[in-house]
Amino acid sequence: MATIAAAPATQRGAAGKPGPTGTSGGHLVRKRRLFWPFLAPALILYVVFLVAPTIVTGVLSFTRWAGAGDTPQFTGFAGYLRMFASDSFRSALVNTLMYVVVGGIGTFLLAFLFTMVLRDMPGGKLVRTILFFPNIVAPVALAMFFSFLFKSDDKGLANFVLGGLGIDPVRFLAPENVTLTVIGALVWASSGFYITILMAAVDRIPPYLYEDAEIAGASAWQKFRAITLPLTWDVVGVAGVLWTINALKIFELVFVLAGPGTYSPPTAAWTLGIYVFDRSFGSQGTPDYGGASACAVVMIALTSVFVVLLRRLMRRDTIQF
Amino acid sequence: MTVADVGRKAPRRPRPAPGAGRRSPLRVLGMVVVLGFTAFNLLVLYWLIAASFKTPVEIFTKPFALPVRWFQLGKPLRNFAYAWDQAGFGDAFLTTVVLVAASSAAIVLVSAPAAYALTRLGVRGSGPLTNLIAVGMGVPFQTVIIPLFIGLSTVHLTDSLFGLFLVYVALSIPFTVFLLTGFFRSLSDEMEEAAAIDGASPLRTFFAVMLPLARGGLITALILNAIGLWNETLLAIVFLQSQAHFTLARALFTFYGAAEYQSEYGGLIAGVTILVLPMLVLYLVLARRIITGLTLGSGK
Amino acid sequence: MADVSFRGATRYYAGVDRPAVDRLDLEVADGEFLVLVGPSGCGKSTTLRMLAGLEGVDEGQVWIGDRDVTALPPKDRDIAMVFQNYALYPHMTVGENIGFHLKVAKVPRDERERRVRKAATLLGLESYLDRKPARLSGGQRQRVAMGRAIVRQPQVFCMDEPLSNLDAKLRVQTRTQIASLQRRLGVTTVYVTHDQVEAMTMGDRVAVLKDGVLQQCDTPIGLFSKPANLFVAGFIGSPAMNLLPARVDGDSAVIAGHAVRLTRGQRAQLSGDEVVVGVRPEGVDVVDFDDGIPVVVDVVEELGSDQFLYCSFEQAGTGDLVEHAVTARVAGMSPNQRGAKVGLLPRREAVHLFDPVTGSRLED
Repeated sequence: MATIAAAPATQRGAAGKPGPTGTSGGHLVRKRRLFWPFLAPALILYVVFLVAPTIVTGVLSFTRWAGAGDTPQFTGFAGYLRMFASDSFRSALVNTLMYVVVGGIGTFLLAFLFTMVLRDMPGGKLVRTILFFPNIVAPVALAMFFSFLFKSDDKGLANFVLGGLGIDPVRFLAPENVTLTVIGALVWASSGFYITILMAAVDRIPPYLYEDAEIAGASAWQKFRAITLPLTWDVVGVAGVLWTINALKIFELVFVLAGPGTYSPPTAAWTLGIYVFDRSFGSQGTPDYGGASACAVVMIALTSVFVVLLRRLMRRDTIQF
Repeated sequence: MTVADVGRKAPRRPRPAPGAGRRSPLRVLGMVVVLGFTAFNLLVLYWLIAASFKTPVEIFTKPFALPVRWFQLGKPLRNFAYAWDQAGFGDAFLTTVVLVAASSAAIVLVSAPAAYALTRLGVRGSGPLTNLIAVGMGVPFQTVIIPLFIGLSTVHLTDSLFGLFLVYVALSIPFTVFLLTGFFRSLSDEMEEAAAIDGASPLRTFFAVMLPLARGGLITALILNAIGLWNETLLAIVFLQSQAHFTLARALFTFYGAAEYQSEYGGLIAGVTILVLPMLVLYLVLARRIITGLTLGSGK
Repeated sequence: MADVSFRGATRYYAGVDRPAVDRLDLEVADGEFLVLVGPSGCGKSTTLRMLAGLEGVDEGQVWIGDRDVTALPPKDRDIAMVFQNYALYPHMTVGENIGFHLKVAKVPRDERERRVRKAATLLGLESYLDRKPARLSGGQRQRVAMGRAIVRQPQVFCMDEPLSNLDAKLRVQTRTQIASLQRRLGVTTVYVTHDQVEAMTMGDRVAVLKDGVLQQCDTPIGLFSKPANLFVAGFIGSPAMNLLPARVDGDSAVIAGHAVRLTRGQRAQLSGDEVVVGVRPEGVDVVDFDDGIPVVVDVVEELGSDQFLYCSFEQAGTGDLVEHAVTARVAGMSPNQRGAKVGLLPRREAVHLFDPVTGSRLED
């Protein structure tokens, strides 16, 4: 999961030189002959299905192409300029950033709050298992649940409850509200995962540090500030990277919740993921592979920028217990 | 010193440390949120399963009640029957099981040797190569679907389960290789060296010693990929067009619009349940393994 | 400054019927250095944690000075604790670690710095104030943990095996440092250890626990010279006291043909006609084979200053050879040899007698 956090693999037996013991040296050489046969299938699939297409997408982003039957025409940055000028892209960009930033802040605040309570809560393991549960459910299924929950007329579950409390129905899924609604849904669906990651790190903190803080009279907040946060900082950083990667490509949840489901929702609710899909495989109109590719390039560029920024922001000395 | 213990019984729950139950506002807030959140998750599960046995009227007017109408009419499984037969979930279920099983197995089959090669052969450049593959986890699928679609359509592998199988296997490699390198790296050198001293060939060492040792990791990789692919929607939408090839998630996606149009909400929720239930069962059995597996990479 | 008292303090753990600490009554005087010692699982750490407030008290009370602190959270008890693993915050510097409690207590910055500096000077840590714990040696970390306790100026120090992570040499040095520091500061201290040498050298008084029950609490000399029962007799002192089962014949206990006289009072306290004769290795004289308990020397351990003889003797009546049954301590470089047949004679004043059934000491 921790893509970017991957530490360089340990180099065994000082590559190139014979092994430390005479007997294993010959064996090591024979073993190394396995390297390419073992690695090749995965590497070839990886290059053919991931690296090459990414490059092709980069090239296509500078063209205008309507797909099969049409020939790609090189247009330089014209496609990008047109895209940046379009309302649909702008709202897609703004919404996506909302999901990443607002949703991220929400998710992490929630996760932090949970670390304060879950650490020494009886039955905490069971609670964690229940909290994690949405992560094994298909996003498209979650989206359908939320569409029932937030149906705009009084049929929706939320409005049913609100109606019971004497509150007028809220149009949760109207284009102007849907982003906030989906952020809520997203935070609900993903926080279990981030809580679990953070709690795994919290569990590794020696309990006597919390006991010392208890003797000092530290409040829950002070314990969090003085112990939990600094000692899980690197995991928080990795979790932030994961969040960014996942939130930037949000698609199903918005697609189903904001629209009729079979074709794209109104542009005001778009995300970058929907923009790419709509311009390439969305059922309406002729495809615009060039524009979709340009947007895909923006997605991967944003991912890189966010990840680099986060890693720079979170960089700190490693801490050993 | 030792006095006969008469009429003395250990308390079932020893007294907590003084101050442990201290009610700071933050802790109270946290407790409320945690319990509310947990209750909501359970409620969602209840609602989903209950609603899949309800008529549309019941779903909307008595969302929290137990299902009644279809039971009275003697057709308690009516929604499931509709989804399974009319909406094509039966075929999709079979397709999904086969596709997911084949893909997950193939992914592990391809990734395990690669992870082994990258961690245990001591070849120069293994580290950067591992990172290069791991970076693939950060690439949104949207970035690759257009060239993949064009490429596969030229070899007539769009709207084909084999084409989707290839895509699934290839795009799952970064995560799986990364996960398995962690497992292989944690194995000790001694077993491998012992096998070498016994004269086992490197290939034999891999199959007879290393793979069994990494079995836990392989199973975890298998399960995590199965869950991920079972729930995968975007690629299925792009690469499958005819209903005969639909996976569950894909079928649900298409059925959603139709169900809305026909007010076939019971069937729709039954469809959601058919998609969710197998994963729920798997989760109930393997929760710890799934959770630790999914959060593994980030911990280190 | 304050005294500490446990009044029938009892602690249970979930799912265990036997209490971890069972109706402990213990008084620690103001300024006293009390050591809790016992084998692992005896409840000594639990006792300390009850005092610190990290552990609930299921029955009874804990008092500090004239306050019942049983229900008070740790911070209101005016105690400081030194943990076995020191509990240093790895991301804080030495200065921040020492000052952490003051910071939480919102002590103003300059007073905080002054007190941290003072504690650091006392412990010779001035030049390390800006270092992180990872870059300190084990002994330095231990001193930082001490500093964090001192800087609070508490009424009671709680120390939970603070030396167990140090190597043997450093442990000996540090134990005198801690003891003298405590005497200088005059703060009531409860100190937990499993090491009876540490207990005997550091404590004003030593409390021996076993299975959650207090066995004896006395000065080191008291414990050593008048162990209250078989457990204390075997636990305190190294090498351990020789405990020899004997049969009472008239007014004497007979071991391998050698008679040890019992007083009338001792005879009266005895529940049966068996007795355990205890004698420390240094309370045994080596004499001719026929003049004492006849033994064969199995092993000679030469320490230079002392010599330990591990001997076996024949069980009277059965004729079985009891191996390594008796240890004798003699002057170093004595000309004893393995296989030699000698007699061992317990000195009258060095003999302890115990009831084998109750384990209790038979008073003179």
